[in-house]
Amino acid sequence: MSLNIKKFRFNILETLPLLFLFYLSFIGSSIINIGFLSINVLYILVYFWVLRKPQILGYGYIFLSGIISDVVLGMPLGINALSLLFIAGTAAYIRVVTVRITLINDWISFIPALIFANFIYFASMNLSNIEVDYIYFLKNSIFTFIFYPILWIVFSLYLNLIKNN
Amino acid sequence: METSRDDVGIAIRSAFIKKGAQQRFSLFALAVLSILLIFLDTIESKPLNNARSVIKDIIYRSASLTSYPTKSFSNFYSSIEKHITLHKKYKILLEENKKLKNNFSDKEFLELENTQLRKLIDEQAQSSLNLLSARVLLDKQSPYLNSLIVNTGSNQKVKNGLAVLDGKNFVGRIVDVNYFSSRVLLITDLNSKIPVVVEPSGTQAILSGRGINELTLQYLPENHKIKEGDKIYTSGKEGFFSSGIPIGEVVINEDDFNVLLFSDLSQITFLNISLGQLNIN
Repeated sequence: MSLNIKKFRFNILETLPLLFLFYLSFIGSSIINIGFLSINVLYILVYFWVLRKPQILGYGYIFLSGIISDVVLGMPLGINALSLLFIAGTAAYIRVVTVRITLINDWISFIPALIFANFIYFASMNLSNIEVDYIYFLKNSIFTFIFYPILWIVFSLYLNLIKNN
Repeated sequence: METSRDDVGIAIRSAFIKKGAQQRFSLFALAVLSILLIFLDTIESKPLNNARSVIKDIIYRSASLTSYPTKSFSNFYSSIEKHITLHKKYKILLEENKKLKNNFSDKEFLELENTQLRKLIDEQAQSSLNLLSARVLLDKQSPYLNSLIVNTGSNQKVKNGLAVLDGKNFVGRIVDVNYFSSRVLLITDLNSKIPVVVEPSGTQAILSGRGINELTLQYLPENHKIKEGDKIYTSGKEGFFSSGIPIGEVVINEDDFNVLLFSDLSQITFLNISLGQLNIN
């Protein structure tokens, strides 16, 4: 009985990042704007979990959440999905080529992921003739990068909680 | 050197092409599917439009349900905020009431002026505007696209390009129609360009969104006589909307002619979609 409860708790804990991913996509809050700050939480979430525990966020789910984001935010279908998959791809590549995972390693390798994803986003929006605020784009990328360690710590603590269960 | 290149190749294949641990799809296959979707989104055909419409309707309804707790919390917070600022608002309302009483005698004059202005901008009678009410389903605005989702679609004869009003004020236009829902591109969006007329000078201009609440007037003639507080109306020049729909008033910031909207776009719950006077097929 206690084993079942423990397993149930473990399953719930493992599912929460996925639920959070879909929740952010459905409410259209992948980008959090607090005053001057603008942070893409979805990028950080996908990057961290694909890097540290890929079985929690399946690529299919990431693709689906990207499609949901596109629909909710009014973007052409596939733009968010593609940029999120590039974030996941870079994370998967970093996971394959690195042995020790540290905050600094993660943080630095997040730069190419961010550049790739934003390039895809930017190029796709241009292809779809959607006018973009370039300053906002740059600001968002910089703050997402700066904010990464804070969410890294939060997610790492959560990951330890899963491991302890 | 050869080994190092091989290692990179193996790592890339492992990350992108092979299915990872407990993964059902490879990243590469999903990325190709996403690119395909982006291209399919640019193609207009009836079956594709129907499929897109169904997907969007389902996601909008699910998103509306999912965002219910957030919306409730936000409403609760704003109601508390309203209570806190009640006294301050009461004072403002007293002042406004006093001003309105003073202005009451000017009512007849203003009505006359209004009739003249309406004639000037060739507006048809109000009753001829075929308005359809709609409720806002989702108002989560993307940083890249200022838009709203409303609960009426092609089932209520909504079409792309129709004007959307908050009360009598112009706030945007329909840009995407599904069967049960539509997307309204707000006038504040970067991609919004509306032909307008500035009264009383009658100057024609283009009102462009900037992604923020203050819009800007573009393509003004050199010797215009626009003053602070002048009113902005749709000109109807492009043939999409009827003329004379109020939008906002002019605010001059140094050399920029900005426009402050009559409607507060963050407080919209119900909208009117103008079904009439559409000159496009």
